[in-house]
Amino acid sequence: MNKTFAPRLEELLGSEKVLSSESELLCYSYDATPLTSFKPDAIVRAYNEEDIQKVLEFATQENIPVTTRGSGTGLSGGSIPVNGGIVLVTTAMNKIIEIDSEDLSVTVEPGVITANLHSAVEALDLFYPPDPGSMKISTIGGNVAENAGGLRGLKYGITGDYVMSLDTFLVDGSKVKYGTKCVKDVAGYNMTKFLVGTEGTIGVFSKIVLKLVPKPKTKKTFLALYDDVIDAARTVSTIISRKVIPSTLELMDQVTINCVEDYSQIGLPRDVVALLLIEADGHPAVVAEEANVIEEACKANNVRTLKIAKSKQESDELFTARRMALSALARAKPTTILEDITVPRPAIPEMMALIREVAGKFNILIGTFGHAGDGNLHPTCLTDERDLDEIDRVHQAYEIIFDKAISLGGTISGEHGTGVAKSKYLPRMVGPKAIELMRKIKACFDPTGRLNPGKIFPLER
Amino acid sequence: MGKAFDPDEIARSLSTLDVHDYGDVLQCMRCGLCLPTCPTYRTDGLETQSPRGRVALIKAVIDGKMKASEEFVEHIYHCLDCRNCQTVCPAGVKAGELVLEARYRIEENRAQPLIKKFLLNYAILDQKRLAKLLAPLKIYQISGLQALVRKYDILKLVSDDLRFMEALTPKLPSRPLSEEISEEIPALGTERGRVGFFLGCAMNLIFADTSRATIENLTRVGFRVIVPKEIQCCGAPNIAEGERKIYREMAENTIRIFADRRVDYVVTDCAACGLELKTYREIFRKNPTFTGKAEEFSNKVRDVSEFLDSVWTPDIKLGPVPEIVCFHDPCHLRHGQKLTYPQRNLLNRIPQLDYRELPDEGQCCGSAGIYNITHRNRSMKILQSKIEAIEKTKAQAVISSNPGCLMQLAYGATHWNKGWNVVHISEVLNRSLRAGEKTG
Repeated sequence: MNKTFAPRLEELLGSEKVLSSESELLCYSYDATPLTSFKPDAIVRAYNEEDIQKVLEFATQENIPVTTRGSGTGLSGGSIPVNGGIVLVTTAMNKIIEIDSEDLSVTVEPGVITANLHSAVEALDLFYPPDPGSMKISTIGGNVAENAGGLRGLKYGITGDYVMSLDTFLVDGSKVKYGTKCVKDVAGYNMTKFLVGTEGTIGVFSKIVLKLVPKPKTKKTFLALYDDVIDAARTVSTIISRKVIPSTLELMDQVTINCVEDYSQIGLPRDVVALLLIEADGHPAVVAEEANVIEEACKANNVRTLKIAKSKQESDELFTARRMALSALARAKPTTILEDITVPRPAIPEMMALIREVAGKFNILIGTFGHAGDGNLHPTCLTDERDLDEIDRVHQAYEIIFDKAISLGGTISGEHGTGVAKSKYLPRMVGPKAIELMRKIKACFDPTGRLNPGKIFPLER
Repeated sequence: MGKAFDPDEIARSLSTLDVHDYGDVLQCMRCGLCLPTCPTYRTDGLETQSPRGRVALIKAVIDGKMKASEEFVEHIYHCLDCRNCQTVCPAGVKAGELVLEARYRIEENRAQPLIKKFLLNYAILDQKRLAKLLAPLKIYQISGLQALVRKYDILKLVSDDLRFMEALTPKLPSRPLSEEISEEIPALGTERGRVGFFLGCAMNLIFADTSRATIENLTRVGFRVIVPKEIQCCGAPNIAEGERKIYREMAENTIRIFADRRVDYVVTDCAACGLELKTYREIFRKNPTFTGKAEEFSNKVRDVSEFLDSVWTPDIKLGPVPEIVCFHDPCHLRHGQKLTYPQRNLLNRIPQLDYRELPDEGQCCGSAGIYNITHRNRSMKILQSKIEAIEKTKAQAVISSNPGCLMQLAYGATHWNKGWNVVHISEVLNRSLRAGEKTG
């Protein structure tokens, strides 16, 4: 590969769309994934489908890798150009093309910011539930590529549950459209569902149709405080076993609570060992009924205090505080390494106990928060990348945590993706046969391995 | 003779920052939450124009992964220093402050243009000098020359930049406030305390009437006001341009002057000055002999709204001001000093004043010191977004409390033909206090 292709890209697309200075290459060498960074050889900002097509055709001619990138908030290295080449940025394609309030769908370009989509559809009394922690800046394209989850996952599902149709450019620059706006569509293989979560290794999305649902009429937010994290974890399984699915059921441990309080100062009590943020939404009568069950479940598991948010502002504050958790944890130490394991809900207490145990065993500081309601936990090591010995202990601890999650019937990643960060653990989880099959599928679409190389499958160097 | 531009030396000196340390750079976990609030990211949409990008660039230079090239320097100067990123960063990364530190290390290691040395190392030391520098402009305004120049758009032929600066400059007072006001002004009624007033350069030389109103307001709520005349610049322009030697000298001088006056508080009506005076405690943190004095001084500093709101009593009478208004938070007030409530509390106390919130969560107006001159295109795009936000409130008057913002917003109001008044909060309060006195 000739690394000095930027001038020819400029000729092809116009110089304002191509970046290749030293500073620019550096600034597109990372996303939110810790300790991972690789520089591209050029960056292209696509403004329309034609730009995407031209870039892919050019890259095919020149045999250059292409890594698609939204806002760069990924947590598994999905948008990091491990093998150099072109970073294709889609943030300038940020139009909401159509909100179909008759048929409950929305058509967007990939660069639309998730939170902007929320406010646009909510203004029409519609609802797009997936709400990843980074929604204020993450793009829909990135959400689809990583199949992002969020706080509302347990009741409403995740990004993939809302994708109806995808216009996708394949590696050679040709375009295919899969899916329709129809609720029922079983024509052929379900390629739409397959493409979701492929982390930019199969194609580049240029147009996305998402399903919308009616906006819930009312909601009720609870804050439950505990003296023992295991009690909080048990409350989660109790609520679910009593057949109530709240719209949000989030857990934070003491380390997280303190960091979040340091930043947000909304009066979270610092002496509690764990808290649950619970929300029920929907029809007022249903919410009232569910609220009773939630209250009982909390009390049955030794809740210290159960508070109900008095206003929308109070509830918004709690949710914002929760969304800040990961970044707030970064206050405590210079380096923050988080994971994304998910286990079946009854196994949460056991998983939490193991996390506590390994933190002690390896003498590291772990703050755990997460979407306990869907079993998705984010044990986060607060460390210092300059302390190589500690970093080594962190990796050892995660090995044990991953193995435990797998043995409990869980997964190594609930919502952040495999990327570079977890490709090493994937074979352990799915086995060699599944890896072989995935590789075959990948080769079908991208025989030369130029679309986002080094993700999901480790690079063969 | 200054030094030639030396990238290696910049990289070396960056590895020991002035106030912060390398741990503060590492603190950034690159989550990207700062991106949507950064004015330059919002206009340009590029990672290089984001707080996260700037911290990454600084880190790369310190780590020896990138040269401290001319391009690096350019990027470090793209930041407006609005500190919005610091407000939203849950990890507590001081991206804006780190950029200022990088500027310091850059400027230490490259030749300084004469004009900059003249302004930052000489002119700024004495407000009388600054006043003399502005004298020709005053003559230009009162001689009728300005009317002529504007009528025939003469500057269009000379230089577009000059034409812009001309349009940005408000009508100057006949004399600086420091030459007109006495050094000590007694409280009206029972004296509740002594406040020192820090008369900033721009307020003194350009917005003299505004600061006169501020001082009057302070006396009206029961405070004796001490206005030291020998005051120098707060140093904000120096910090912004990477100069810290003269800055520290001026800061020491200011701290001594107010210590001598034995005041209970030091109040200022300029948001930029207020932030800088409150920052002295940080800047002297590593100076064992002066850190205590700096701490004591900074603890006394109050923005005028912050002060008035904290000493407000129910018996202070306010008259009606029947107007629809909005408040543009100066970045150095909202993000720098983390003050949002005092100014709103004050405005909401004024009878018949219809206060409306600007729907842009504290975005910068693009003034940012001399940013609107050095980076005019981007500054005007940022201003345009601000104008659109103001428009949504349907306000008749735009209130703010920083001279740079006032000039920028007034320029915007004229340029886009908006017809709304741009005023300092002290002027609105003064109207209301005077009206309150009449109604008794």
